[in-house]
Amino acid sequence: MTEAVKSLRQNPLPQDPRESGQQLRPGLWETINQRYPGSMVTKADYVPLARLAKPLNQARVTLISSCGVHAKADPPMDVCHPFGDFTFRRVPSAAKHADLIIHQLKYPHDDADEDINVIFPIERLQELAAEGAIGGLTKNFFSFIGYNMDPERFERTVAADIARAVSEEEHADVALLAPA
Amino acid sequence: MPTVSVTVAKDVTEKIKAPRALFVPWPMGHHFGVPFHTAIQRRVVMEALQLVQTVEISGTIVPLPIKWADVRREAKFLTEQGKRL
Repeated sequence: MTEAVKSLRQNPLPQDPRESGQQLRPGLWETINQRYPGSMVTKADYVPLARLAKPLNQARVTLISSCGVHAKADPPMDVCHPFGDFTFRRVPSAAKHADLIIHQLKYPHDDADEDINVIFPIERLQELAAEGAIGGLTKNFFSFIGYNMDPERFERTVAADIARAVSEEEHADVALLAPA
Repeated sequence: MPTVSVTVAKDVTEKIKAPRALFVPWPMGHHFGVPFHTAIQRRVVMEALQLVQTVEISGTIVPLPIKWADVRREAKFLTEQGKRL
């Protein structure tokens, strides 16, 4: 056994913090809330789990994303406003990559511009529904701009509207949340 | 309504106490993989949806142990094919 292998066994390499999900700069989120008070979402307690009453291959799935994607025919959302854009768009669930576009400055969407499924897996969900792995898709998916400086107002307006639309208009059974 | 989220920021997801989350150790903007790599995109979607049934405790974050380097290596050829198509 070589020296290198012996020493690797005794001192294993430290785990990459990007893969373990630990913060590269601990304490960062606390300083953000100090400098921009009220800008970070805080939650005091865990949300009680809602159960899915039927198996997945009978459940209707909806996709809610903060990637800012919208159909090319729809007006774009405001990506430059310092407080954020408090609207959302309905994306027809039958849309393809060619019908959709992302206007967003806050995350790299170069690969999403080549293949929207990298951040908004609409075509993959269409295929899974056609194969029967999931029960079906709702008529519309939802997308909004993830950047905002007022999470309370966001919760009151956009989140409440999307939640109401998903349960009352679209009749979804389970929601896949894809933040960007 | 049951929800599940796919996240690349485990510390933020822990802070906001999302009920169920799938953590993928990949860069921002690539939550579901790389362009034209349909297998990995489908895998992430199905793993996330299956969490709806399997997670028992609210606030669970399940990691997906696929390295970004492996995803990129597998998809490099596919991306070039996609561009030519």
